[in-house]
Amino acid sequence: MLTRMRILHATYRAALAVLLLVLPLSKVLARGHLYGALDNEELLACEDLFWNGQSAQAAACYNRLYSPEQPPLVRAEALWARGNLQGANSQFQLAIEASPDDPIVRVRWGELFMDTYQFSEAYTLFAEALELDPANAWGHIGAASALSEGGDPEVLNQHLNAVMHEDLGLAEGARLRAMIMVIRSLLRDDRYEQAQLSLDEAFEWAEEHALPLMELNALQASHAFMMRQDYQPFIEASLQEAPNYGDAWFIPGYFATVIRRYKEAVDFFSEAVSLQPNHWEAQVYLGQNLLRLNRINEAIAHINTSYEGNAFNPMTVNLMRLLDNFTSDFVSISYPDPPEGPLPELILRLGQDEKAVLDKYARQLSEDSIAVYKERYRLDPKEPIIVEIYPNHEDFIVRSIGMPGVGLLGVTFGYLFAMDSPTAHPEQKYHWGTTLWHEMAHVFTLGVTENLVPRWVSEGISVFEEWRTGPIPGRKIPTDVLQAMAEDKFLPIAKLDDGFMRPEYSGQVIVSYMQSGLVFEFIDLEYGFDKIVDMLYMFNDGLSPVEAIEKSLGISDSDFDRHFKQFIDIEYGPLLGSLPVWMEDMNASYSALREEQWEEAAAAAERAIFTYPEYVEVDSPYIVLARANKELGNADAEFEALQSFWKNGGYLPNALLALADHYLEQENNPLAEEVLEDANWADPFLEELHVKLGDLYIETNRPELAIEEFEVLLALDPLDKAAANYRLANAWYALDNAEKSMEYLMTALDIAPQYRPAQKLLLELSRISN
Amino acid sequence: MNQLKVLLLLILIPVPALAELHVTIVQGLGGNLVFDARFTEQRQQISDASITMAGENRVSTFSGDDATRKNLLAHFSAISEQMSEEDRMAIYLIGHGSYDGEQYKFNIPGPDITDADLDEILGSLPGSNHFLVNTSSASGSILDTVESESRILITATRNGNEKNATEFGAFFAESLSEEAADINKNSTISIQEAFDYAERRVAEFFESEGRLATEHPQIRGDNYASFSLARLGDFESSSEDPRINSLLTKRLELDAEIESLQLRRNEFTNADYIERLQALILESAQVSEQIDMLGNGTDVNAD
Repeated sequence: MLTRMRILHATYRAALAVLLLVLPLSKVLARGHLYGALDNEELLACEDLFWNGQSAQAAACYNRLYSPEQPPLVRAEALWARGNLQGANSQFQLAIEASPDDPIVRVRWGELFMDTYQFSEAYTLFAEALELDPANAWGHIGAASALSEGGDPEVLNQHLNAVMHEDLGLAEGARLRAMIMVIRSLLRDDRYEQAQLSLDEAFEWAEEHALPLMELNALQASHAFMMRQDYQPFIEASLQEAPNYGDAWFIPGYFATVIRRYKEAVDFFSEAVSLQPNHWEAQVYLGQNLLRLNRINEAIAHINTSYEGNAFNPMTVNLMRLLDNFTSDFVSISYPDPPEGPLPELILRLGQDEKAVLDKYARQLSEDSIAVYKERYRLDPKEPIIVEIYPNHEDFIVRSIGMPGVGLLGVTFGYLFAMDSPTAHPEQKYHWGTTLWHEMAHVFTLGVTENLVPRWVSEGISVFEEWRTGPIPGRKIPTDVLQAMAEDKFLPIAKLDDGFMRPEYSGQVIVSYMQSGLVFEFIDLEYGFDKIVDMLYMFNDGLSPVEAIEKSLGISDSDFDRHFKQFIDIEYGPLLGSLPVWMEDMNASYSALREEQWEEAAAAAERAIFTYPEYVEVDSPYIVLARANKELGNADAEFEALQSFWKNGGYLPNALLALADHYLEQENNPLAEEVLEDANWADPFLEELHVKLGDLYIETNRPELAIEEFEVLLALDPLDKAAANYRLANAWYALDNAEKSMEYLMTALDIAPQYRPAQKLLLELSRISN
Repeated sequence: MNQLKVLLLLILIPVPALAELHVTIVQGLGGNLVFDARFTEQRQQISDASITMAGENRVSTFSGDDATRKNLLAHFSAISEQMSEEDRMAIYLIGHGSYDGEQYKFNIPGPDITDADLDEILGSLPGSNHFLVNTSSASGSILDTVESESRILITATRNGNEKNATEFGAFFAESLSEEAADINKNSTISIQEAFDYAERRVAEFFESEGRLATEHPQIRGDNYASFSLARLGDFESSSEDPRINSLLTKRLELDAEIESLQLRRNEFTNADYIERLQALILESAQVSEQIDMLGNGTDVNAD
């Protein structure tokens, strides 16, 4: 306990001064409704004034409550309501000393911790309250709230069930809070029917027990919005009950973000902060969603406001840190430059240090994918498409969802998407080109449907496009997905979104990605690509995926599932039957490789390839076969293995470089070039790649392309800078630009005065000038 | 001006003409076949590269049962008798090492070589600025004991706590015959160039493996940029043709002037510096061209 208090004091000291400064005398801090947790009449009178919209009177009322005549618990509540969290904390300590056996003191102190995002500390206090009184409904609902921020879901449910189903006395408000938690969860999970049933039940309960309805009305408004119904009357009802209730707007705004309706979310949050400027959470959500719409300066202003008001919110703090990097370390480049119309078509936002490397390739891939998708999805983008590429994975995640620690690679918000740079994943397993291609497909599926496309449909089309039109075409199914297929874990089409939203086993999300991709492979092969596009446009009219399938394909969802299963059986049945043998061969090949038993490794790899020749993930048997043959001195077999790996869509950069060397030895320049260009979509940060590609362009008399590659090489700060500069000098010389050539040449010779090839070029240049 | 040229020539030529480079390569115990093979390959690479600089007679290698503490101490004792004050020693330790918190040990058959032994060996050699590279695990722990202003030290690890088998040795050995490591393109690999190359390759290795680096190479001492370890390709130092010899001398003088200009670059504007540099390098290039032509049997008007 002492430790916790020390931590609390230390944490609050700096931030509370700010909090007090930003709360004008007449304002009251937005806190959650008490819902009957306390029964002090004087306190409730102040609360009523606040909820009735009489802020100034409420502030004066709370000020009066902070008097020695009042018990410490009431004084704590009064200070908390006035924004003096440190003072409230001190008063709670006194309240505990005065009433050590009263669980409600600990519950309310726990709620103060909840308001400052210290969920673990809050949970401890709720648990202590429950030790004093195991049947305390407020303790249970507090504990459930704390656990909903990342605790054990089973324990959470135990607390929630206790409030919902056990007789816990006269805590009707606690049960309403439990109902509200359930409704929120159902809405988050797109379970609209169940959510409506729960809402009806909650309204009935609240009315029966004369409890406030404003939060329920805000949730009902959210439900209506998500169902594309008229939500305004519910917001009005909420505000009629509590005129200053910013949550009336904030709650629907939050659920708008859940269904990726960011523009509408911004409208909701704007209303929330306009009504209640000290709704710091609404301020930061507004900032975050303005960022998603590329309204950077407005976003910065709201995030700053949120931080000044509440420096405890981790999302605010993370976004502040991100903005520091965002404004100083990123650079925006527009294409075409100058724009051909009023706006550019493409804006790349790249790390300052990575611009010189990524600009060319990101632009090429973006423009190529835009051209492909424009035609395939019959959509001309209405706004510039913004591609943000983050060198730091945590920055990308904070930009995407506000909090770090999630394993995403790219996130699309509409016309803007953010993704990881190859440097965020230096281990060569990340194919950034495919990620960009995947995210760009989302821009079009979201654009066609104005963000109404169901999650699995959007993900499925993106995966399908990776396989069909992406930089490394071909299906790439990870082993654990094959295993899931073998165990018949694919979901019926009507429940496919559950695999993304409510995964039931580890790895189900990736299984759902692959299943969704295969669904569109199936539709394309069986019904034609146009049906996919037709289906997509139907989501604009509010159709569900099942309805869209019925309407566009003329088939029921159960028939679709049956046909899809047949497709999977035909495509993967033989492989799934021999999956155990394949895995044995894979393990044997790697085991032999580790022991440097090259012949055994090659034999096992060949068996694995025979069973599943399309498997080209980073642990592909082609890699083992190539390595083993290299060690055995069998260059032809090594080449064959690498070539098959690449032709099946393998992308491991070092393998591609080795294959390019083989092609160069065979003087097969066109294929060497193709392989090297492919390697750029996997890792453009490899010096060797740009040396080889640039040299190849020089050899094939395309110095302008060589210059691009050598400029990238130089941007990578190579160890051998003299050679990089010499290459550029040579390329400019080939373009008859003696001035540029001399510029790079003298840089090379300054580093390496005795560099003979550079000296020879100097002689040539001097003779020309003479 | 002539005096300056002579002085600069002495600075430029990595190992003075009369000074000799002695190289001792020690291959420790691998512990298994894989490491034995790796260490043998590294020893061979270093030996081949060292011969290009020191000559076969001054490169000594110890491996297997020969690499005992007794043999090594006797070797260094004997060689210190042969070395002059101007001579320099380069010692390579390839293998595994350990550190128990107090003492570093390089693993060889029988009693190990300790950090104190290494300090004593280096201390017993005549002259100064001798070079020791220890590529073993935990090698950074020797810095406390062995570091001195008059020595150049390279270790594969930052300290004794980095105990994993290292990758540094393979890259350092590779650097000695790697053109990409020759940053200034003078066809020799200096200690600095070898270190820079290996350090970068180690970082790239761990990055590409997606692992946190378990080793952080260190370099200590002075003048490691001018201490050459290996030569790449043919090195023209003299010729039977007196005309070529004259041109080689002229080129050396020009190279010295270039180095002098580079040291004084702050005295000039950038444009002035580049102009002067260009003139000198152009002259050097013309001399090189004349040497090539004479070497090819084409007559030139060399003055």
